[in-house]
Amino acid sequence: MRIKKLNIGILLFVLVGVVPFAAAFIYALLYSFGIIGVANDGFTLQFWESVITSGTFFKSFGYSFLIALVAVAISVGGALWITLKFRQQLETRFMSFIIYLPLAVPGIVTGFFTFQLFSKGGFFARISHKLGFITEASQFPDLVNDGLAIGIIFSFLTMITPFFVLLFLNVYKNERVEELSILAQSLGANANQISRRVFLPILLKKTWVLIVLYFIFLLGAYEVPLILGQESPQMLSVLIIQEIKQYDLDKISEGYVVAVLYTLIVSVAAILLFLPKRKRAYAT
Amino acid sequence: MRLNWKPFVLSLVVLLILFPFVYLVFLSLASEWRFPDVWPSYIGFKNWVTVFNSEAGLLKSFFSSLVISLSVAVFSTTSGFLISKAVFYHPKKRVLTLLAYFPYILAPVVFAACLSFFFLKMGLFGNMTGVVVAQFIIAFPYALLFFSSFWNEKVKSYEDLVATLGGNKWQTYTKVLLPLAKGLILICFFQTFLISWFEYGLTSIIGIGKVQTLTIKVFLFIKEANYFYGALSCCLLIFPPVVLLYFNKRYVFKKFV
Amino acid sequence: MFLEVQHIVKSFGDEKVVKDLNFSLSAKHTLSILGKSGCGKTTMLKTIGGLVPPDSGKILLNGEDITETKPEKRSIVYLYQEDLLFPHLNAFENIAFGLRLKKIPEGLIKEKVEHMLHSLELEGQADKMPTQLSGGQRQRVSFGRAISTNPSLLLLDEPFGSLDTGTRKRMQELFKKLTEEFDITSLFVTHDLKEAVLMGNQIGFMQDGVLKVYEDKKDFIQDPQTGVQSEIEFWGGLL
Repeated sequence: MRIKKLNIGILLFVLVGVVPFAAAFIYALLYSFGIIGVANDGFTLQFWESVITSGTFFKSFGYSFLIALVAVAISVGGALWITLKFRQQLETRFMSFIIYLPLAVPGIVTGFFTFQLFSKGGFFARISHKLGFITEASQFPDLVNDGLAIGIIFSFLTMITPFFVLLFLNVYKNERVEELSILAQSLGANANQISRRVFLPILLKKTWVLIVLYFIFLLGAYEVPLILGQESPQMLSVLIIQEIKQYDLDKISEGYVVAVLYTLIVSVAAILLFLPKRKRAYAT
Repeated sequence: MRLNWKPFVLSLVVLLILFPFVYLVFLSLASEWRFPDVWPSYIGFKNWVTVFNSEAGLLKSFFSSLVISLSVAVFSTTSGFLISKAVFYHPKKRVLTLLAYFPYILAPVVFAACLSFFFLKMGLFGNMTGVVVAQFIIAFPYALLFFSSFWNEKVKSYEDLVATLGGNKWQTYTKVLLPLAKGLILICFFQTFLISWFEYGLTSIIGIGKVQTLTIKVFLFIKEANYFYGALSCCLLIFPPVVLLYFNKRYVFKKFV
Repeated sequence: MFLEVQHIVKSFGDEKVVKDLNFSLSAKHTLSILGKSGCGKTTMLKTIGGLVPPDSGKILLNGEDITETKPEKRSIVYLYQEDLLFPHLNAFENIAFGLRLKKIPEGLIKEKVEHMLHSLELEGQADKMPTQLSGGQRQRVSFGRAISTNPSLLLLDEPFGSLDTGTRKRMQELFKKLTEEFDITSLFVTHDLKEAVLMGNQIGFMQDGVLKVYEDKKDFIQDPQTGVQSEIEFWGGLL
């Protein structure tokens, strides 16, 4: 009786949690090999060949990878620095409310706001004009929809840095880093040694899975690069959606090739991240 | 004496955090703001007044967003709580957890693009039900994983205790499990609400522009270069999470792995 | 006999945790069982309580086969070492918990719980939440919660394991008093030699999944396995 009830729960889990993902993946896979799809007539490797030879995927993947890496590296570094230097100040009532505020801003608003700030007709362009740095809008440097993805990276930073600060503050408290630091001090460690041998290792060890997870989220980010990205290369999600929604039917299949590759990479990352954690063998 | 630089940096941080909020409200009050001008030629409540008549459809969007997000939050939190029990008491819970992570870390917009065929076949394309179902599919793994730490040995002991005291399954839920999980359930509710409230890509694919949530509106206004209405929709979008933050920070801070 | 356990076997995977468990217990008696942690005593209690299904064997309670009966229908209460008070209920409501499950009228609940609070020497603590009670008080509330449902059999798994020595002693005395007052039949598992001798009408010794119940206390003291002899030698040697 008890076993049967549990199985209904597992059945529902598979139905809602596993079947949609499997269906989506199989659909994309079949489409990418031309087995299904409006204009496709049977198995072909043509779309895979063209995606791989044209290098669209690799360019886009590399581009997304770099952007996500730069954004995560800067924000983790910055957040660690803020946690180390401003921990006490951030615990006051006022500050502990303020630092949560950025979490209330969704990606699409961040993208919109960054555009308003940095575009050629935006806030900083107006200020620069007023101050006489530029005389025409076109003279303002490309900070959005630009090749170096400055706008995208800026948006990502504003989105994830506050999160990491809050995360590190939490871990700092829960792992009793304060007490351990005092202990290290009594053992003769100086401030520098404490941050390098106690503070950093504990915080990073406790959070690295989340850091990688946020890297993966940024890799697949959509709204921000949609608003702030350039024509080419594009970040992965934008590229996939653009190709799948095209009228050129070959492109649709190629879009699904990219989708399959992206899903595979993300799934492998999930397996590496979440499978090796061994818990107790069985619970009585 | 060494100069104490911390207060300056801190004040700067506060300004940087508050600036977007102030700027968006300011932008939502502006109109006819030509390029080199540092100050718009109109500042007032003109844009906000239009919210309350149907011209821009913003109020309607606000309420459809609200209905969609509330539905997603109710369905995903309820099912996440009930189903997570089966998953996290299961001997193979590690593999099951991994399966839940696949849809969780995949970009929702790509997920939606690959699922859209099925939604089309089921008549769930371009309507509110479809958007709710699609968002539920991505919010569910979140809710499920959210409750993973709740089902531990101690809770199992409580369940056994209630059984030996003569309680049935229903009583175990109503008298013990729900009261114990109340706080977590509330947090999960608001977090899944926000997942839905903030969602753009998936909604745009499954709703094909017919279901106009607030995020869709923001993007439409950006495309029309109507930045003042865009800012106004942003304000509406940010308002509920700020209110939630005021009540409890944990409603908005998603930190679990 | 009131409780009869016949040939109970339980394994987890390849590991045989309980091996051919056989014993019986008369009503209103306490069988104390001495055993180190990991000897299978928790699994044994959980099997009798219906929380863990046995691989084979039979359990009879008052002549009725309850091997397949669900835990909520057995009228056997299993008490953990942890007090496991419900954090959302105060002391009164924790004790009343089992009575409310049975939908007993409000007036009767009030009467029973107040009587129980008195027997447990917990007057004036009724409105306190678990976090406001001391370890001993919490354990007493946990007892009250179990006894108030009037169970046929009480299973106690190291009930005083987390208490300090003084509190432990007072709780042992209180438990003796309660068993008399409420006619309790119980299995009392402990790893404390003195407690085992003190609490039971009968004594058993469990090791590697095998339970041996002694005819009387003398046999228990004579058996070198139980450790009583070495204890006597130790104290004797000091004289």
